Amino acid sequence: MAKASKSRMTVEGEDEGRFVAALAAGDRAAFAEAYRRYNPPMVRLAAAILRNQASAEEVAQDAWVSILKNIGGFEGRSSLAAWIFTILTNAARSRARRDGRQVSFDDGGEGNGLAAAFDGTGHWKEMPALWEEVTPERMIAGRNLLQHVSAAIDRLPEAQRAVLILRGQQGLEAAEVCAALGISEGNMRVLLHRARHALRRELDRLMG
Amino acid sequence: MGVRFTCKDVAARADALIDGELGLWDRLRIHLHLAICKGCDHFIHQMRQTKAMIRASAALPDEEPAPAALDAILARVAAEPEPEPKPDG
Ligand SMILES: [Zn+2]
Repeated sequence: MAKASKSRMTVEGEDEGRFVAALAAGDRAAFAEAYRRYNPPMVRLAAAILRNQASAEEVAQDAWVSILKNIGGFEGRSSLAAWIFTILTNAARSRARRDGRQVSFDDGGEGNGLAAAFDGTGHWKEMPALWEEVTPERMIAGRNLLQHVSAAIDRLPEAQRAVLILRGQQGLEAAEVCAALGISEGNMRVLLHRARHALRRELDRLMG
Repeated sequence: MGVRFTCKDVAARADALIDGELGLWDRLRIHLHLAICKGCDHFIHQMRQTKAMIRASAALPDEEPAPAALDAILARVAAEPEPEPKPDG
């Protein structure tokens, strides 16, 4: 068997192996680090699934209990992040079931507002602008760009937000996102596409 | 659709391009188009900047976890120590 299939052969992968071993050994510092790194996006993702902040925080705690109890069985077939977020989405689904609610990643929306940007021959009606100085620190209207972007992500429809958290922010592979959310690759791409274009429009508005 | 991409064709493939998921032939056709179309060049640049800002937004300052939050989870783990069926590998 090729070495690469055992775990990800990146520097990150080797560090990840040590990190997982520390977690499995009950190392509190490793747990604190994992919690610091993953709990905020876990709560945001659970909130996107459950549409309720208090339930999201409880579900994240449930997921941590499950993560710590099962980390010894983690074999590195996926990234640690993908494994953690899959446990989180499973916990969120159980919670939704218990509350008698459906979890759906149907977006409802259609298009991305881009079709109207072209004329009949497929050319831009209005040429996209060259954005200058797009940096996280740049201040516009009293907030930095990163804060504007985070606020815009919070305003996305839940399904788009869930995909953007996993794919756009956490950098999971496309297949990992599909598995964690239980959606098809086609659906994932549409949601990612819409989410990115909503963010691009928001940045364009801020840059204008 | 002919050999040449229109701006609309380029925009439809922007996600795949910036994610490195586009085949060689489509990539070539896009780069041929970008060489002569400032609008699409700007658009692809915007998409890359948007992707980078989304990624950067993951790293908003996260406060140190409250020890009580960690303790609550560890107490629950200790109270039910037997492993659950494996969720995945
Ligand atoms: Zn063009």
